Amino acid sequence: MPLGIFASRCAGRIDSAVDLDEALRGVSEQAAVVRVFEDLFAPGVAARIITDIENEGLDAVALVGPSADHWTRSVSAHHLRDTIEAAGVNHNRIATANLLEQVALVHPDDRQAATAKAASLINVAAIRATRAGTVEASGSTPLRTVLVLGVTSEALVASQRLLQLGFEVTLADRGDGSVTATNRRDLRATGAWVLDHPSATFIDRAEMLDGDGWLGDFRVKLATPDGVVEKHVGGILLARPDQTEWVSELRAHFRVDVDDDGRARSLDPVRHPAETIDPGIMVVPLRGQDAIERERVAAADAAAMAILLRLSSDEVTHSHDVSSIDETLCGGCASCVRTCAFGACYIDAETGLSHVEERRCRACGKCVVSCPVGARDLLSAPHDVMVASVHELAAAEVDGPKVIGFLCGGCGYPAADAAAEDIVERGSGYPASFLPLRIPCGGRLDAIYVLEAFRAGFDGVSVYRCREGHCHNLIGNLDMDRRINLLRTVLRARGIDDARLRIVDISSAEGDVFLKSLDEMFELVGGHVPSSATQGATVVPLTSPEPASSAAAAGGDAS
Amino acid sequence: MTRPTLAIVTLGGCDGCLMSIVDGHEALVELLSVVDIVSSPLDASHRPLPESVDIVLIEGAVTTEEDRAHLLEARTAAKTLVALGSCATYGGVGGMRNLVADDAEAAVYGASASRPQIASFVEAPALVVDVDVEIPGCSPSPERTHAALQALLGGTELAEGRRNLCHECAREKVDLLDHSAEFVSDAVVALMELEEIDAKRCLLEQGLLCMGPMTREGCGAACTSVNVPCRGCGGPSRRDFEQGAKAVDALASVLPAGALMHMEDLTGTAYRYALPSSLFPAMTTADDEEVRRD
Repeated sequence: MPLGIFASRCAGRIDSAVDLDEALRGVSEQAAVVRVFEDLFAPGVAARIITDIENEGLDAVALVGPSADHWTRSVSAHHLRDTIEAAGVNHNRIATANLLEQVALVHPDDRQAATAKAASLINVAAIRATRAGTVEASGSTPLRTVLVLGVTSEALVASQRLLQLGFEVTLADRGDGSVTATNRRDLRATGAWVLDHPSATFIDRAEMLDGDGWLGDFRVKLATPDGVVEKHVGGILLARPDQTEWVSELRAHFRVDVDDDGRARSLDPVRHPAETIDPGIMVVPLRGQDAIERERVAAADAAAMAILLRLSSDEVTHSHDVSSIDETLCGGCASCVRTCAFGACYIDAETGLSHVEERRCRACGKCVVSCPVGARDLLSAPHDVMVASVHELAAAEVDGPKVIGFLCGGCGYPAADAAAEDIVERGSGYPASFLPLRIPCGGRLDAIYVLEAFRAGFDGVSVYRCREGHCHNLIGNLDMDRRINLLRTVLRARGIDDARLRIVDISSAEGDVFLKSLDEMFELVGGHVPSSATQGATVVPLTSPEPASSAAAAGGDAS
Repeated sequence: MTRPTLAIVTLGGCDGCLMSIVDGHEALVELLSVVDIVSSPLDASHRPLPESVDIVLIEGAVTTEEDRAHLLEARTAAKTLVALGSCATYGGVGGMRNLVADDAEAAVYGASASRPQIASFVEAPALVVDVDVEIPGCSPSPERTHAALQALLGGTELAEGRRNLCHECAREKVDLLDHSAEFVSDAVVALMELEEIDAKRCLLEQGLLCMGPMTREGCGAACTSVNVPCRGCGGPSRRDFEQGAKAVDALASVLPAGALMHMEDLTGTAYRYALPSSLFPAMTTADDEEVRRD
């Protein structure tokens, strides 16, 4: 399986803390191509990568440099990924190693350890790229129809734009949207225009009963006073992100982020104000009650533009990152059915075996963890890749007690990225013996991974989960809690100190919470003999390496 | 034509698996008519294990140095080595003593008794040597044992499934077929605490800790078909899947975790038969790193 490694110096920011050439040395033995760029997002880079893919017949690629989140959230980064896919590398065989936010920026003062950790993360990316199976992708022409939830001024302006461009729009409202559309103070004319438009449909006093599908091809069932209405739409615009009924009904079927008040949240209020983690679902950025008309129109335009960018193309591709099933192993125990928050799993009445309704699967991996026989696997984060990654990280050549951080992609991973800014400010890094492993959801954390981590020699295991009510997958965090709590009794019974397994509640922007969790963890494991479990009261005096003491010092500052 | 030879070697166990051979009745008679049993604890003449035997059945776990020596001899002699029962396959019930660390011997026998040198922890024979065939179960039913022997002698493929017990269990699921964040039962109860057992309904849904989902099929759901929750003697479906860890993973969204922790000895239940084959086969201490499975 020819592997290509494309690394970025991130305009010198990686080099300031990591010897990139040294970090790439190990992986270069198994890679067909290792190429280092000053910056991956510079003119000519994509063409160079494509040439390598074609010349070497690469079918696995590891992109080394920026955070994994960068690859999904930045348009230019996304484009580079798309280009690589178009050149024939499967979506699931493109892995990333975050050397910027999770290595170089956070370990400014320990070049040797940072380099060793970087090498380890590159190896993990190589494992992911080469050992994960391929996923199928299907292309379809996106439906040029949009469901707008909540008839607000912004909803009407955005609808007008879309209608003008030939889209069909359904405007559903909890109250009497068709009435309020024309009797508001501002934008009365716009309301009337939309109301009269032949491609606009208003549905009043609606609730969402059901939904499935993805960008370009959603099916939504609405309950209305006149009965159930089914809509087949290409995109969904949530015009009332503050209306928690809509938000919770949407979240029962699709992945939508919420803030502390249960309001739907966009990816990034500055750069991506209208986009959410589901590419087919947009929100109108919230404006205060006193927002002036111009601000409302600007917000509506941003939302309409975001939809337009997605739905005006001739084809959208959906990667089927679903949970796979090995029918020779499934015994039909229904553990997966019970645990799936989206109702995507069911037991086929005829065969008695489990099936996944792909249009409902959000690839969180909860069913995979709950499957006691290994009949399930998550294509985008396979079991064998997870176990191999844990062992690879355990082998990182860094000094001091080692801690593995299972970072939920919805909270812990972005929080670790956010912590980079805090580190840049405070000037001293956290211990490089903290080794991160991204998981798609807290619910993807198998008890086996925790045990493997301890077995492989980690002194501490930190698990980062979304705060209550914030999990994209509704209850991935709750299920993880339940599992970890049960696991604690099992660890204790086997002589493994369960205090060394910590759960951290965190949300995506909380870099400070992330750093504090590290201080606490290293204070704890600093006192343990590296790579061994304790039995009885084997207290070993703090032998400790500089990283731990610097963490403790930082802890002092924080508290 | 000479008849194939068969030997039985017992290690640390209860001899229950030997009973499953004897309990074969007609099947035993049939077996005796096609093989020569050359060495067996069932044989009053106590003939030693010959240097070469076609099929050697091992029963029990490695609990003493003597067991280990017998196991190695069996491996050397056997053309086909069969792990009969859960002790030989996964370490078995006796492996639970691995949770008591080194002082198990003194705790049980006191300081004075004369006895064989007990190993510091129990090991699964199937992890000590390569075995060719595994027949898990505590003990495997006579039908299963004899069917496996017949397949071996006839040179046919042993048809053993790798799904879980639920595949063989005829009980009906209702709540489990519905996705929910709630547990299927408010409490975890012991069998004797149930006023009435619904004979048709899934035992998990009745609040009983049934190991069926975590356990490899092959017994024909012998226990659950008579209203007894599965105890997990079939072992895990995959060697690299800890049966106990998967019990944690699967049951956490099915049965109330708090109740599981307080009302049931989760470790004792979930690791009852396969602790020596798990990721931490014995109590971990600072100085016995080698205990960990490679």
